[in-house]
Amino acid sequence: MTVTASRIRATRWPAVRPWVGVATRLGLATVWLLAGASKAEDLAASGRAVNAYRLLPYEVATVVGAALPFVELALGALLLLGLATRLAAAVSAALLVVFVAGIASAWARGLSIDCGCFGSGGQLAAGQAPSYLPEILRDVAFLALAGFLLIWPRTPVSVDGWLAGPPVEDEDE
Amino acid sequence: MSSRKGQRDAARVVRQQIARERRRRRTIWASVAAVAVLVIAGLIGWGVWSGQRGGGYTAPPGATVAGTGIAHGSGPVVIDLYEDFLCPICKQFQQTSGPTVEQLVAEGKATVVFHPVAFLNRYSTTQYSTRSSAASGCAANGGKFREYAGALFDRQPPEGSAGLSDAELADIAAGVGLNRDTFASCLSDGTYKSWTKHVTEDASKAGVTGTPTVRVNGKEVADRSPEGIRAAVAAAGK
Repeated sequence: MTVTASRIRATRWPAVRPWVGVATRLGLATVWLLAGASKAEDLAASGRAVNAYRLLPYEVATVVGAALPFVELALGALLLLGLATRLAAAVSAALLVVFVAGIASAWARGLSIDCGCFGSGGQLAAGQAPSYLPEILRDVAFLALAGFLLIWPRTPVSVDGWLAGPPVEDEDE
Repeated sequence: MSSRKGQRDAARVVRQQIARERRRRRTIWASVAAVAVLVIAGLIGWGVWSGQRGGGYTAPPGATVAGTGIAHGSGPVVIDLYEDFLCPICKQFQQTSGPTVEQLVAEGKATVVFHPVAFLNRYSTTQYSTRSSAASGCAANGGKFREYAGALFDRQPPEGSAGLSDAELADIAAGVGLNRDTFASCLSDGTYKSWTKHVTEDASKAGVTGTPTVRVNGKEVADRSPEGIRAAVAAAGK
């Protein structure tokens, strides 16, 4: 293990990356907070939205529907604070993969539902056709945010950064 | 290599190791705390929901045994109508196929069960779906459910609006021959709100994900035109 006094890097990426990281973290936090808040208003509707996918028994769907908004809010809060960012990003990614799979399966089975992503109770408004592809693409974009934070969880202005203290020389992360 | 430099290096390595170890421990604790936060959040949601659903409900007179809709007629074939008073396609359905359903009931071929579900609360600013459904319960209490439901569709407010006010709902009740004061107090007491919840939950449990949903003897009817309904009832009656 050799310790070089200073490591000069040619690219500007290392200087920019932390701030892209903050933007990513806050962006994903906003997504979760909005998604959670819109569902938490009406937990019965949230349960119906989960049930509309017809993947879970009704009772299980209502429990998932009730728990999910609060988990989303908690994820949003963790990301906002930058606490356990990598873990929060991993959970985010896992949830988003489940969402994408759920929407894809609803699409494949020819169901006519709204994804319920931002709290609609799974019911399409009048004359509204399902928009599975945009919903999936949107979730994939969110997935990219989570992926970024999985790879580079350390961002400025975060509880993680504060806990870790000033960077030690010879960082091997 | 001097021994002093060696000592300095060794001390630095030890310092770094201690710092790394401390960071590792903090990361672990942060992760444990985060997982706890997520789990507790989920449990809170479950708890809030359990509190909200609260079991009891009062079904209005004329409701089915299960209390999930208002029945009319005594024909052998059961037509279930799942509708939200805010849903424009439901209004359309009532206008085009409503008379046919009435006729089938009058001919003694079918019993119609109307389920006033509240699916579209988020498409009005005042929970109009719940309020109108509960209002229809008050109308059933006065024995005028069908007249009132028809009048609600005639006066249907647009999606995204505030919907009809409680006073307007009471005016409509008076218009179909109900006692305005009795109706207004039934509405303001929220007498049938728990029933609306029950009807809505039951519909969801039954796999109804949109309105209108029409089922004939439990089977969903895709063609909701008068002919489609008639054909489905004829097929089910055989």
